[in-house]
Amino acid sequence: MNIHEYQAKEILKKYDIPCGDYGVASDAEEIKAVVEKMNLDAAVVKVQVHAGGRGKAGGVKFAKTREEIFSVAEELIGMKIVNEQTGAAGVIAQKVLIADPADIQQEYYVGAVIDREKAQPMMILSPEGGVEIEKVAATSPERIMTFVIDVDGSVEDKDLEDAAMFMGWNGDVAEQGKTVIKNLAQAFTDTDASLLEINPLVLTKNGDIEALDAKLSIDDNALFRHEDIAALYDPTQETTLEVAAKDHDLAYIALDGTIGCMVNGAGLAMATMDVISLYGGKPANFLDVGGGASKEKVAAGLRIILQDKNVEGILVNIFGGIMNCMTIAEGLIEVSEEQDITKPIVVRLEGTDAEKGKKMLADAAMTMITADTLAEAAEKAMVATKTARK
Amino acid sequence: MAILVDKDTKVITQGITGKAGTFHTQQCMEYGTTFVGGVTPGKGGQEVLGLPVFNTVAEARDATGCDATLIMVPAPFAAKAILEAEAAGIELIVCITEGIPVRDMLEVGMIMRESKSRLIGPNCPGIITPGECKIGIMPGYIHKKGNVGVISRSGTLTYEAVWQLTHLELGQSTCIGIGGDPLNGTSFLDALAMFEEDPETEAIMMIGEIGGNAEENAAMWIQEQCSKPVAAFIAGMTAPPGKRMGHAGAIISGGKGAAADKVAALEKAGVVVAKTPTDMGDAMVQAIKAAL
Repeated sequence: MNIHEYQAKEILKKYDIPCGDYGVASDAEEIKAVVEKMNLDAAVVKVQVHAGGRGKAGGVKFAKTREEIFSVAEELIGMKIVNEQTGAAGVIAQKVLIADPADIQQEYYVGAVIDREKAQPMMILSPEGGVEIEKVAATSPERIMTFVIDVDGSVEDKDLEDAAMFMGWNGDVAEQGKTVIKNLAQAFTDTDASLLEINPLVLTKNGDIEALDAKLSIDDNALFRHEDIAALYDPTQETTLEVAAKDHDLAYIALDGTIGCMVNGAGLAMATMDVISLYGGKPANFLDVGGGASKEKVAAGLRIILQDKNVEGILVNIFGGIMNCMTIAEGLIEVSEEQDITKPIVVRLEGTDAEKGKKMLADAAMTMITADTLAEAAEKAMVATKTARK
Repeated sequence: MAILVDKDTKVITQGITGKAGTFHTQQCMEYGTTFVGGVTPGKGGQEVLGLPVFNTVAEARDATGCDATLIMVPAPFAAKAILEAEAAGIELIVCITEGIPVRDMLEVGMIMRESKSRLIGPNCPGIITPGECKIGIMPGYIHKKGNVGVISRSGTLTYEAVWQLTHLELGQSTCIGIGGDPLNGTSFLDALAMFEEDPETEAIMMIGEIGGNAEENAAMWIQEQCSKPVAAFIAGMTAPPGKRMGHAGAIISGGKGAAADKVAALEKAGVVVAKTPTDMGDAMVQAIKAAL
């Protein structure tokens, strides 16, 4: 789960990482309150959305006068950010962060991630801040330093000393910088983060180290032990269908094609998307009902797919293991009894209780096309969708 | 004996009194697997499916001499269950549970690296040696005894591959689902090495997916060390970058982990890569023919 910059900064502040002065506003009144409270005559205004690349998308602006802060902030609230990370639908900024502009002397990168290859949490540092760390890694890898974070969140003193030297920090700045790195590692561990990134971390002309930005992604699987962070879930940053899917604990990702897919298991779901593409189609979504889905969950999944206006045809591809094909059939039948489904549905059931599931579908009044293999199912879905279009 | 499990393997289920635990233990027993007990804390002394239930894995181990465990414990408690089995000296730990926090698995990983026990999974379908032993949630009937070793990061996609192999009369020596999480107990490399050593395995089918670089590492190993024909499939050719595709491990990030790179690495190593998930079986046939 992602949280907003201002929320991530609140967490960093609890770990004594300075984040400068800022306020958050979602309308004109709140902008006024922030500006007056902070007595601002210039500010950096940033949209709060769950996506990177905000600057390039026009979501970060500098205001040189008090009047400009008002006009810029009002313009950015409600702005839609569309880039590679958000997909074509984009995300809308409900809030802006208004910050006292820092007098920057130097920018750095500090981040923590799980290195899956080494199966260890890693700290990543670079004296090149304010640019994408992936680009630094590609063009000048010698400008990146990494070291292991202990499972309990602690770091070795020697690593901190090396880091300070690598970043070019001396004296008091080095002490501040080391504290930031040490506390970042602890915050990363304590919050079950999959990514915690400060980019840029800056050295101000006054000699202070501050986090100008913050990005925090939390391991969804660990949210059960972080009620405070789970409460920060922001449904406005996802599409309505994604929110509906989350309510039913379904894995759903909206894509830009026309074939709706209901599959069990992530690998099979990806493979099903691949086969649809092979037959010249494009998947409208990725919907994984998972292992132990109930009839209600299957029905909810089908309703979500049917609500998607881009969907012209539906492919249900189930290979039952932990999932019972009869449950799938029950869920599909439930939806067909409550609404008149006009879009063609191709169903392929295999695995646990496949024959019983197929019989239930055949006995029900539901019109659908059946298939025995994945290839046959994909081909039939394509043909049916084209026919339905005519 | 194929690898890791056979008809003599004695198995317990951790979480046996739960609905899924009972159901899948029963399915495995019907397949012919030898189960000798189960564990659920606080329910020791009960009986499920005619099997004795113990409070701890250590008690179960002492009483039954089990050498493998099937973990069907809910995610918040699953890492502890793995560590309990490890501490009790269970040789093979198969963890089906999906959704274990990464931080918990980091701790498990640290201990497993030094351990004599082997962990398969988590978030996996389990392991099966057809006709002898099934420890997992895969439908038994799709398998057929034979000589193809199957390794996969996915559950249901493995069933698809196995079903195609069985239709082509290509039986399997052992099928291992290593799981879809970024951190798992047994890697492609571990499984490849075991299949390479196993006299009953004559060919290997490997099913990978986008994310990470396990497939690239496997490709390198195959090129250098593997004497047996290998076929592969990589799921997620059409997955958009930056999106996590259901499996926590399946994400193309920073331009790394894309399917095309994995396919290229495998083909360079002489692996026959199926272009689509519908011809995984055919790719295996081709790889075997090419090796003749």
